This record gives sequence, C-alpha cells and structure tokens, in this order.
Amino acid sequence: MTFLRKLALTTALVAGLSASAMAEDVKFGLLQDFTAVYTFVTGQYNQGQQDYLALANAEGILGDGNTVTAIVRDTGNQPQRGIEAYNRAKEEGAILFDFLSTPVSAAILDQASADKNIVITPAHGRGDASDGTVFPYVFPMMPTYWAQAAALIEYMKETGGLEGKKIAIVHIDSPFGREPGPILDALAKQEGFEFQAFPYASPGNEQAAAWSEVRRYRPDYVLIWGAGGGQAVSVRTAIQNGIRPEQIHSVIWLAETDAANVGPQMKGVKRFEATAAGTDHPIIQRIQEKVITPGKGSGDQANVGNSYYNLGVATMAVAVEAARLGLEGGQPLTGDTLKAGFEKISGFDAEGLMPPVTYTAEDHQGGGAGRVSEWDGEKWVPVSDWKAAYPDLIRTVIEESAAKYKEGN
Amino acid sequence: MFYRLSGTYHTSYQADRKLWKIPTDRWLVIALLVLAALAPLYVSPLYLGSYVLPWVIWSAAALSLTLLMGLAGQLHFGFAAVMAIGAYASIHLVRAGVPFELALLLSGLIAAVIGTVFGGAALRVKGLYLVMATLAMQYLVDWVVVNVPAISGGAHATLRTPDVGFLFLPIDSLASRYWLALGWAVALTVFFMNVKRTSFGRALVAIRDKDFAAAVIGVDPFRTKLTAFATSSFMGGVTGAILAFCFYRAVTPEQFGFNVSIQLVAMVLVGGLGSVIGSWLGAGFVLLAPIFLTNLVSGLAAGGWVPVSQNFLSHLPLMIYGAMIIGFLLLEPLGLAKIYDNIRKYFLVWPFRHARS
Amino acid sequence: MAYFLELLISGALTGLMYSLVALGFVLIYKSAGVPNLAQGALVMTAGYAVWMVMAWGLNVWIAIPVAAAIMFGFGLIVERLLLRRMVGQPVIMVVMLTLGLEILLRGLVPGILGSTPKPIDLGIDFAPIIIGDVFINRTSLYGGIAALALVGASLLFFRTRLGTKLRAVSDDHVSSWAVGISVERAIGISWGLAGIAAVVAGALWGSSQGADWTLSMLLFPAVAVVILGGVDSVPGVVVGGILVGVLGTVIPGYLDSFAGGSTRDVVTSLIILLTIMVRPFGIFGREDIERI
Repeated sequence: MTFLRKLALTTALVAGLSASAMAEDVKFGLLQDFTAVYTFVTGQYNQGQQDYLALANAEGILGDGNTVTAIVRDTGNQPQRGIEAYNRAKEEGAILFDFLSTPVSAAILDQASADKNIVITPAHGRGDASDGTVFPYVFPMMPTYWAQAAALIEYMKETGGLEGKKIAIVHIDSPFGREPGPILDALAKQEGFEFQAFPYASPGNEQAAAWSEVRRYRPDYVLIWGAGGGQAVSVRTAIQNGIRPEQIHSVIWLAETDAANVGPQMKGVKRFEATAAGTDHPIIQRIQEKVITPGKGSGDQANVGNSYYNLGVATMAVAVEAARLGLEGGQPLTGDTLKAGFEKISGFDAEGLMPPVTYTAEDHQGGGAGRVSEWDGEKWVPVSDWKAAYPDLIRTVIEESAAKYKEGN
Repeated sequence: MFYRLSGTYHTSYQADRKLWKIPTDRWLVIALLVLAALAPLYVSPLYLGSYVLPWVIWSAAALSLTLLMGLAGQLHFGFAAVMAIGAYASIHLVRAGVPFELALLLSGLIAAVIGTVFGGAALRVKGLYLVMATLAMQYLVDWVVVNVPAISGGAHATLRTPDVGFLFLPIDSLASRYWLALGWAVALTVFFMNVKRTSFGRALVAIRDKDFAAAVIGVDPFRTKLTAFATSSFMGGVTGAILAFCFYRAVTPEQFGFNVSIQLVAMVLVGGLGSVIGSWLGAGFVLLAPIFLTNLVSGLAAGGWVPVSQNFLSHLPLMIYGAMIIGFLLLEPLGLAKIYDNIRKYFLVWPFRHARS
Repeated sequence: MAYFLELLISGALTGLMYSLVALGFVLIYKSAGVPNLAQGALVMTAGYAVWMVMAWGLNVWIAIPVAAAIMFGFGLIVERLLLRRMVGQPVIMVVMLTLGLEILLRGLVPGILGSTPKPIDLGIDFAPIIIGDVFINRTSLYGGIAALALVGASLLFFRTRLGTKLRAVSDDHVSSWAVGISVERAIGISWGLAGIAAVVAGALWGSSQGADWTLSMLLFPAVAVVILGGVDSVPGVVVGGILVGVLGTVIPGYLDSFAGGSTRDVVTSLIILLTIMVRPFGIFGREDIERI
C-alpha cells in the first residue's frame, strides 16, 4: 500500500514538475444544473462559458502554451450529486468551480473552502460571500441580489423619484425571492418610500391572486423577483392587471426567451443586467470569428449574444484573467495562486462587455456595478450607466450577514 | 460448490429459525462487514466520501421506509419530510446545547411523533389515497420549513451543522463520519432482520396481507399501523440527522424535497419491497446509477463518441434512469433482491443442477 | 367586495385550467383503474408538441389538432408498451411505473427539443375584460371555456357506442370481456383521450408561461382536483377544479400578506388531506374504493 502510494506520489511529482516546466492545463469545474430548476439559464450560460474558454485557448490568452479546460457535468440541482461531481472534478485537478445552483453551492461551500478551491457564484448564491475576509475562496464576482435590488431602486429614484412612492415587490416564495427584503427595508427608511411584498407559490405558473392584490395596492413601481417560466407569467399577469410595462423592473433573470414567451407587449419592461447583451462586442465578435465559424461552438449558434450567453462569457473572461495573473509569477496554479490572481484584477471590463471590476482581499463582489436595460421589442437597450448603487449600504449588509455566518449560522 | 450444500436439511426448529441457515451466508456477511468497517483504509477519499458514505446512509433510509412499505404495506410518499424533521430537529437540539448522542435520539422521537400524525391518514385509507395524503403532508412540511426562518436558518435557508463528537470520538474526519453512518446502518439492518421474527413483525405482515383478516386473528390494526409509522419515522428521523451531520453538513430545504421522497420509494421498489439486501442494493442503484451514467456519458462525449448537443447529453442520464425504473418494474417487479436471490439459489447447489430445490 | 369577486372569478377560471390537467387523469383512472402520475409530464410533452408543430410553420389552429393526433398516438403507445403489462400488479407498482415514465419524459422531451421555455402564441389578447372594478384574464377565461367544452364533450362521448363500452369497462373488466368488449382497446383509447386533453392543457398553460418541464408540476394541483371531485368522475373534475381554484386563490388573497409567504400550496395540501379524511372517494366518486 505505502509502496503504491509512494509510487503514485512520485509519478505525480514528476508529472507536476515537468508540467510546470512546460505548459499547464488549468481545469475549471462547471458542474451545473442542466435538467432541473435552472434549465432556463444553464444551457445558454454554459454555452457562453465553453465558447469563451475555446476562444481563450485559440488566442493563447494564458501564455506559454498554457491551456484551460472545462469539466462539465450535470448535477440536476441535487446536492448529493453536486458533492460527487465536486469531489471527482477536484480529483481531476479542477481548482475553480461554478455550480450555478443555490442548494449545491450551499452544500459545497465549506468543503471547497477547506480544500482551498475557488467557487464562483456569479448572480446566484449567498450575497455575504462577497466578504473576502470571511469567505476567502468564494467569489460572487458580480453584483449580488442585494446590489441588484439597490441598483433597481436607484434607477427608480433617478427616473421618477422615490419620496412618497409605492413599490410592490412580487416574488417567488423561496429564500431567493426574499433576498431583496432587507435592502428594501433599509432603503424605504432612507428614501421615504413604502413597499409591500406579494409572494406567489413556486414555480409560478399561476399568479392571479398576487397580482389582483398588487393592482389594488396601486404601486408606482413594480419589482419582479423570480426565475424561469414564472417571470413570463409575472410580466403577462402584471400587464393584464393594468400595470404598464414601464413600471415593471426585474431581477437579472429576465432575458430573450422570456420576451419571446410574453410577446410584443413586453416592450418597455426593465431589468437589471451585469453584462451587456448582444453580439456587438469585441469578445463576442472574436468568438464568432474564431470559435463559431470554424464550427467549434458548443451549442446552438442562435444563442450567441443572448443575455445569459454573454453572462457566461463574462464569468469565464474574469476567471481566465485571474488565472493569467495567477500564473504570472511562474508558479503552478493552485487555489491560492488563483485567489491571488483574482485579487490582482483591477479595472477589468472584458473589453466593454461588463463594468470594470476590481477585486480585493475584502471585496469579492468586484464593486457591484451594474446597469438597467429596457426591452425595446427586439433587444435589450441600456438605459443607465454602469455604476454601483448604495455601495456603503450593501457593504454593511454584507458584513453583518458574514459576521453571522462566522458565528456558525 | 461455494455454499457446499446439497439441499436444505434442518433437523430441528432451532436450526430452521436461524438468521443465517447456511454457514456460507454468515461468513459472507462477516466478510462484508469487515470490508465495510475497514473501508476508510483502502478506499480513496473520493470514493468513500461521494459514493460509499451516501450509499450507506441512503441504505439506512431505504431500510426505514421498507419497514413501512414492505412489511406493513403502508405506502408513504413523504418520507423525505420525515427525514427533514429529524435533520432540522437534531441541528437545533445540538445548537441548544443538547449532547449529540441524545440529540440523535430526540430528533428520532420528534420525527416519530410527527410521522405518526402522517400515519393518521393510514387509519382511514390505503393504496392510492394514502399515496396522495402522504404527498400532501410532504408539501406541508416543506412549506413550514421554508417559511419559518427559525427552522430553516434565516435569509439563506442554510443551516450548518455544529462540530460534534459521538461517544468521545469527534465526528470531523471523513472516516469518523463514515463509521458513525455505517454503525447506524448496520444497527438498522440487524434490527430489521430480527423484527421479522418478532410478534410485532408478524403483526405488520398480517396487516399488510389483509387488515381485517388481521383484526380477526387478534392483531389490532389501529395500534399496529400507528406503531409501524412511529417506528419507521423514528428510524427515518435519526437517518435524516445522520445524513445532515455525516454527509451534507449544511442543510437546505431542497435536500429533503418531494423528488427525494420519490427517490426513496424508487430505492425500495427497485431493491425489492421488504427486503434487507434489496434496500442496500436499491439504494446503491438509485443513488449511484445517475452519477455513473453522467460520468460515463461525459466520458464518451469527451472521447467524441456521442456527437450530440450538451443539452441532450445532460438529459441522457435522466432518460436512462427513468427507463431503468420502468424496465425493472416490467421485467423484475420483485426487484434486485429477487435477482440476487435467483443467483444465490443457482449457486446453492451448483454444479449439481438437478438438486435444485 | 370587488376584490373578493375578482379573486372568486379568477380562482374559478384558474381552477378550470387545472381541470384540463385533471381530466386526463380521470379518463384513465375511470377506464383502467390506473392512477397516472405522469399526466403532468404528458401535459409537458403536449406543450412541446404544440410548439414543435408550430415551429414547422403551421398556424396554431392547425397545430393543435396535429399535436392532438400525435398525443393520441403517444397515449396509445404508452398504454400498449407499458401499462398493459402491469395489469394485476399492486397499485404501488403502477404508481412507480407512471413516475418512471414521468422521469423518462422529463429527460427525453427537453433533451431532444431544448430545455429553455418555448413560446406558444395562441394570439389571445392581453387586455383584460373589465366589468366594474373586476378584471378577467382572457387566457384563463378561454381556458375555462375550453375545460367546460372538453368535459362536456367527454360526457357526450360516454353516451356514444364507444363511450358506452368504455363505461362498461370501467364498471368491470371481466364482465366486459365476457360480453365481447375489447377491454385492452377501450383502455388504450382512454389513454389516447388523456393525450388529447393534455394537448389543450399544454397549449393553454404553455401560452402563459412557455412550454418547459415546469408544466409537469401542474400534477400537484391536478391531484387535488381529482381527489376532491372523485378520481373516477368526469363532472367531478369541473366542481373539484372550481373549488380548488377558488380556495387556492381567495384564501391566499387574504392570508398571504399576513403569512409572509404564499399559502397556495398549503391550501392545496389541506384540501387533499381533508378530503381523504372526511370523504376519501371525493364529491362525486363512487364509494367502492378500498376502505378500512
């Protein structure tokens, strides 16, 4: 037994040495939910991620012949399958993980941190993980749900004022749906508006009761907080209840597919976005040219440039940039050097695809900047500039929640 | 040859009532037990942590459910909710300062009390209606867990298990967690094998076969059914607590959803109703088959063997899994236990085919 | 008062849309005695089928009959290949088989046709019908009318020659055999009819949320409908649907703001539980179910 183990160790060492002398293959574990709750986003999101990694390899972004490989597995949103997939990918050498599933991320967070592996939770997962001092190996990377709620409120303030206004928040009845609660509580006091929450039962294929109530509340603005098919139902039922599309503001999960499901009436609906949509960006153009045209794309060509596709591209652009910076010193890439790489990222904007982000040892959210865009009947048009809303408030909420986590919650 | 048997020839009732009538069986079980106990020494952490450990725990869960479904014949489509009660109760008890050993017992008792309420429906209906009633209770428990932040653990609905020790052994390393889970699963197995030989076990079987006939021969259906629900829920509750402390270590409501209940029923049925070996085999099959299929399919895809889209690829295991459940029910309704039994029967007198009983 | 009235109406209409899903369940249970827990997945498959046919470029009013023909055939095949071999097995085996079918369909259909929600545009106007201060959703209104029409058609169908055979089969398999009725064919046809009902349900529900796997989750409210109305009663589907819809809308309409969460699933669960405890065979069901 010991002999075998020694043999294995030596082989690994030799292999490791020769690898660091030559080129390194960085492995990312994209262990996501392709078959259950997150199907509305995973397909396009993962396609964007894989296509960007293909581009990174084609362009040799990591330098020195280093490459990056994705390990893609379906977890079906089941924690026990996520744990298995994580352990297996870890064995295969993955050092960065993206689960795109709140329950799976929650089940693995502690283990991954103990293993010193990076977990990115872009646009999902717990917001307090933005506190790098408590969660050293977790990178929410993009605006948390709290920052998204704040950005939408700030947009309302700029477009129509908040003093004395009424906001209805219509949300799916789950922990995710209740995320904006504390932010709204704090901002209502600060800005002098009132709000009321209207939950609807998961998965949201029927929301008549909630919207009848919303109509009688006569809100000035409506915030919809759901995901998947429920979002299209929200928009439809809202319009049917006499709420104008311009009044509707959505969390990040509202995209081209939902617009197709709602139809032309969706024109005017606004949503938060963390990355720009459309194909009119240098990175997307180069993906078209170097990955899609040669037939190396990982999915349906029609998806290229969609909101979720671009979101996936942006996550991998940041991760590859972190890997590049982490490899700069010439040392092999591990969870720790990758973390250092992330924290070296400053003002990176993926050539305009996303707002400039800067990660520090304290801030793993990267500033939390985003913007609001509006559906014009064909595509999403930005109606505000990249910026972080109420950063101090968000930071306080993050730190309070992280402190609670530290105590054992 | 392996069993060194030419037929079944017991000369006393004592010998016929033995748990293992054939010495080979006993040696086989002992060998397996030793292998299982020593698993942390020779199984890599990857396989121990993500295959063997969950298999052991889910086997315990399947055993708890098959006591109810297999022995007592009471269908239960909300067993994940019972396990959720055990898991949440144990974590809150430990956090309140109750020692872990006691918390396990208490969480089992709490699950038993609430589980018996589930059983109330069984006093009135059976079959399809019992399925629906337990299903409704699953939704009710889910709702309570999700909507009461005091239970689910606040804004993120994630509850981490505190560090604990069991009988002076700290439950922190993978091996210790595995041993605790194995100990519980073995205890349940031993209990299950013996309960079939007690008056309680026989009463359960009588109820399963025909409840009013059981009443005629003096088995009180009311009491027996409730006891069956209570016992099974106690076992399920403790298993839920073990699952939380030994495997997940961070509990979210999704871990005990409706689809987990379905999975448990599938384990019991694919394994074979009311069978001990079936529970182990069924749990292993239902739990690990989708994982192996996912890895196999991804491996084949990476090798360029399956030229299909990522979307189709990731749905393939789901299709095969569904097809396998259907296949089992159509081709071998008695489950994996029956297949094992057929193989064993064949080898009992092998190579002397003519001597087969 | 207007609020109550609006909840009442939208609840009743939503409930009737649940009836569309429940109708397929009842049709199969009535003739074959099989609880089809895959009915939700059938609705999902039907929704995808409608979308697929529309993607061929066909008008929606042609697409629905074509999809209905496809689903009728699909129902026949499922019965022939799977359920016929389960005759005489205990109910748990049949329940698990239909759940296995549900898992299979949930993998197969989105796997082949794509898992992002597929739009089904029925061309229904968004603007609500406004009576006083009461808004009525047109999609639900048409859904409710479709449900009533379909149930009416089923009732008429049971008066035809074929329908009479189906009723005979639902009364007693062996006696039907004895008088020369092909029980297998009758059961097969009931599966086909359930497929057609699924198309109407899939098209209407799919038009409001898009066709994706979440359509299969309509099974749960549909189960409440059939339990309340009676598992083997076609008119029960209407009454059960309206009751489940009204209770599931009116009660959350008043309670949710206090409970701080959506109470609809709680109401649905309680309807199932209370019905089973008080009157297990439902409002219109036959009383010969297994009692203890």
